[in-house]
Amino acid sequence: MSSASPVADVATAPTEGRRSLWSKALYKFTRDRLGMGALAVVLLYGVIAAGAAAGLWGQDWAALSDATWAAASADHWFGTNRIGQDIFARALYSTRTAFEVGFVVAIASTIVGALLGAAAGFFSGSWIDEIVLWLMGVLDSIPFYLFVAAIAYAMKGSPFGMHVAMVATFWTITGRLVRGEVIKLKGQEFVEAARAIGVPRLVIIGRHILPNTFHILLVQATIVFVAAIKSEVILSFLGLGVKDSVSWGLMIAEAANEVQNGHFNNFIWASVFLFGLVMAFNLFSDALQDALDPRQVA
Amino acid sequence: MELLQYALRKLLAGIPLVLGVTFISFLLMVYFGPDQTYELLGKNPTPEQIEQVRKELGYDKPFAARYGDYLREIVTLDFGYSNKTGQRVSDVLARTVPISLALVAPGFVLGNMLGIALALLAAYHRGGWVDKLIMGGAVFGMSISFLIVVIACQIIFCSSYGLDLFPVRGWRMDTLGDYARYVTVPTIATVFVALGYNTRFYRAVIVEEMTRDHVRTAMAYGTPPARLLYRNILKNSLIPIITRIMFSIPLVVISGSLIIESYFGIPGVGKVTFDAITSGDQPVLKAVVGLTAVLFVLTLLVTDILYRAVDPRVTLK
Amino acid sequence: MSGEPLLSVDNLSIEFSTERGVVRAVDNVSFDVRAGETLGIVGESGCGKTVTGLSLLRLIPSPPGRIVSGSIRLRGKDLVALPERDMRAIRGRDISMIFQEPMTALNPVFTVGNQMAEVLRRHKGLSRRQALAGAIDMLHRVGLPDPARRVKEYPHQLSGGMRQRVMIGMALSCGPQILVADEPTTALDVTTQAQVMEQIVALQKEFDMAVILITHDLGVVAESCQRALVMYCGRVVEDAPVKSLFATPHHPYTSGLLRSVARIRPDRVASLPVIPGMVPDLANLPDGCRFRERCDNAVARCAGETPVLDAAPVGEGVVACFNPDNAASGEPLS
Repeated sequence: MSSASPVADVATAPTEGRRSLWSKALYKFTRDRLGMGALAVVLLYGVIAAGAAAGLWGQDWAALSDATWAAASADHWFGTNRIGQDIFARALYSTRTAFEVGFVVAIASTIVGALLGAAAGFFSGSWIDEIVLWLMGVLDSIPFYLFVAAIAYAMKGSPFGMHVAMVATFWTITGRLVRGEVIKLKGQEFVEAARAIGVPRLVIIGRHILPNTFHILLVQATIVFVAAIKSEVILSFLGLGVKDSVSWGLMIAEAANEVQNGHFNNFIWASVFLFGLVMAFNLFSDALQDALDPRQVA
Repeated sequence: MELLQYALRKLLAGIPLVLGVTFISFLLMVYFGPDQTYELLGKNPTPEQIEQVRKELGYDKPFAARYGDYLREIVTLDFGYSNKTGQRVSDVLARTVPISLALVAPGFVLGNMLGIALALLAAYHRGGWVDKLIMGGAVFGMSISFLIVVIACQIIFCSSYGLDLFPVRGWRMDTLGDYARYVTVPTIATVFVALGYNTRFYRAVIVEEMTRDHVRTAMAYGTPPARLLYRNILKNSLIPIITRIMFSIPLVVISGSLIIESYFGIPGVGKVTFDAITSGDQPVLKAVVGLTAVLFVLTLLVTDILYRAVDPRVTLK
Repeated sequence: MSGEPLLSVDNLSIEFSTERGVVRAVDNVSFDVRAGETLGIVGESGCGKTVTGLSLLRLIPSPPGRIVSGSIRLRGKDLVALPERDMRAIRGRDISMIFQEPMTALNPVFTVGNQMAEVLRRHKGLSRRQALAGAIDMLHRVGLPDPARRVKEYPHQLSGGMRQRVMIGMALSCGPQILVADEPTTALDVTTQAQVMEQIVALQKEFDMAVILITHDLGVVAESCQRALVMYCGRVVEDAPVKSLFATPHHPYTSGLLRSVARIRPDRVASLPVIPGMVPDLANLPDGCRFRERCDNAVARCAGETPVLDAAPVGEGVVACFNPDNAASGEPLS
């Protein structure tokens, strides 16, 4: 309800406005009990993943034993699978795989989306914009699983075929959002002021525009993280996913052939672990979006 | 006449998209794709035999010539014969596309209709417990992997550990009864998976529309809430709703059914295409990808015409 | 002016729950409207005048808004306690509202005729054809040229002034007793503003209805209203007949508003006097009189006690101030 002078508004918009957005968001997020609870669950998964990566637990996920199809016991908390591997160890180690896939894909597609989206938005209407828009349209028009399969084969079975394919498809959503936001920002006074006093274009993009899209990037990265983990499951089922390791997707794919014969342990525990992480991440992502960009979540 | 001109302009504008999709797909799936040569040859082939097969498959021509051939095939809609089965590609598609359509159509329609209905219900009770329940359910549904849903549905409906009501796998649609028996479980799974995403999307669209000035005007003139929702708000929300539905159509037709088809062993176009990628059956692949791109351009056109029908501010320019 | 008031608002308070806590946008507001009268509600943006206007039709978005106390009586019937269904029958029939933004207040996907006919069909039970004829007749009366063609057009095909005429036509179509006009001319260009205001005044006489004109423009108040309510930070600070308000403003805020109105003086171009300071934050209001921090007349009592409306020292109005301007004695009271 207060009205400060317009001159002051222009001068403070890029830095102070941004800082208050983040401190307000932090305040709002910390008061969101569901969001904080979800974050705690995600962090717990993160600890499990880090421990598996550091060799603290889940290391014997590949070890065979004679006890095949064992029921849950003190030795094997979740029982064993068809070749006697410990399902608990496999589920733990798969957490590491999920975080690896999620982080790589989320970070890479956010960077690609931010750069291409910002370029398209800043030069909207020019040939750069046309090309980026065309590329987005093209990538969105190729059926996802066919695209992944094609990339997996084109990369001759490299373990990162899946990652590349996901990044190539997922960046377009981030790119479109960033493009829209940049077009909006471009028309605002502080950008026009910077341009009027002759700040170079790259500096304007890097210092004044991209930092003001960070809230979109952060939310979008969490959404891509979830999408990547979920896609990994399908891709592993199709034989295009994780190789030479274990993941919830591989466990569920294994289970697909077993459940008809009454072997449910693999299916249940991989599903529970996967669901817990995805649900927590979804709730965390919603709370984050609510705190950072309330227009998007009504 | 104006419409025809518009359609032609729009189709011409779609050419870069078709070129882009076909080029990237061609590069990935055909040029770098699996090599069929040795699968078609017997043991210990002679260099002449190898040469012969490569020539038949077109592997000996330069990249540009092969891509040019591909474009000509799209224009003439003649993709030749499958490398694997020797069947005409058009016959393969004529057999598999209807199966896929019959498989996904009920789930697609139900998923969207239920999604809109739940979204209206949630938006109407915005902030209340009905809204919280529906939106909580949506996040729950969104958090379960499609594959888990499919497997769980199979256990629950098709196995002796559950209700054992429907066939475990396979596909028949000779009679309506057969069709109903085989399509039910895939439909339940599809609806379950799509519902969370749809409800959230539609609710956001509807709630955004609810905050507009003209909705307040309608309220100020005594419009009852139910009429407000379906007359003033739903009609104004149609553009994003149409966009979402229309743009899922090309992908639903081709790849949305892949998981279901693989899991339930249904010989639809998704499964056939996937097998074509992994085995390098290039004629089939080229046909599917090319047709998907053309389908996208047609979708863009139809969507624009639909926009015009629901929003008088949109002009066909 | 005497007799039973048509509309009587008594101790109305409205709160909004926001992220920063509960904000009382309207605080103990009371006023009467008599049949055929034009009442102006004046104040800066955020003073609660629009919320007050919306509350008369119970259109406060809820949540987050809530009428926490008070009553709004239309011919003795309390609208605050009315079931929603009965309230809907009143909206657009007994009390109509026109809004500031003619660009967005009409639904873009329905024709003008369709939207006007909808109101007539609902409140008067007319058939589709009768309602459309009624809409054309109404558009004719609000001075829209070629109404038979206009009813088939969509809002985006009309200019801002034409759209506001459509809005007025829709508001008057059921012959309401009260018209609430929230900044009806603010979004229009200057030449159209005068025409639209004249139209409202002419139609008011023709329909013999009361008009509540919500505006920040004192010029509009001087021309069109008989009585005006000055609001500041959710409270009524002065309520007086327009003549007496302009001749002898009592509340220092009213005086400040009057001084800041531009007068065309060919002999000199002076800078406009402004009210010093800023409007306080509604979530963080000072105790006592909310204007005291910007007030030249402020005395010690203003900080500890909230002034209530009391008979003004001169003229017919009421004022909420411990140390009003233009006091009869010519000296500030203590």
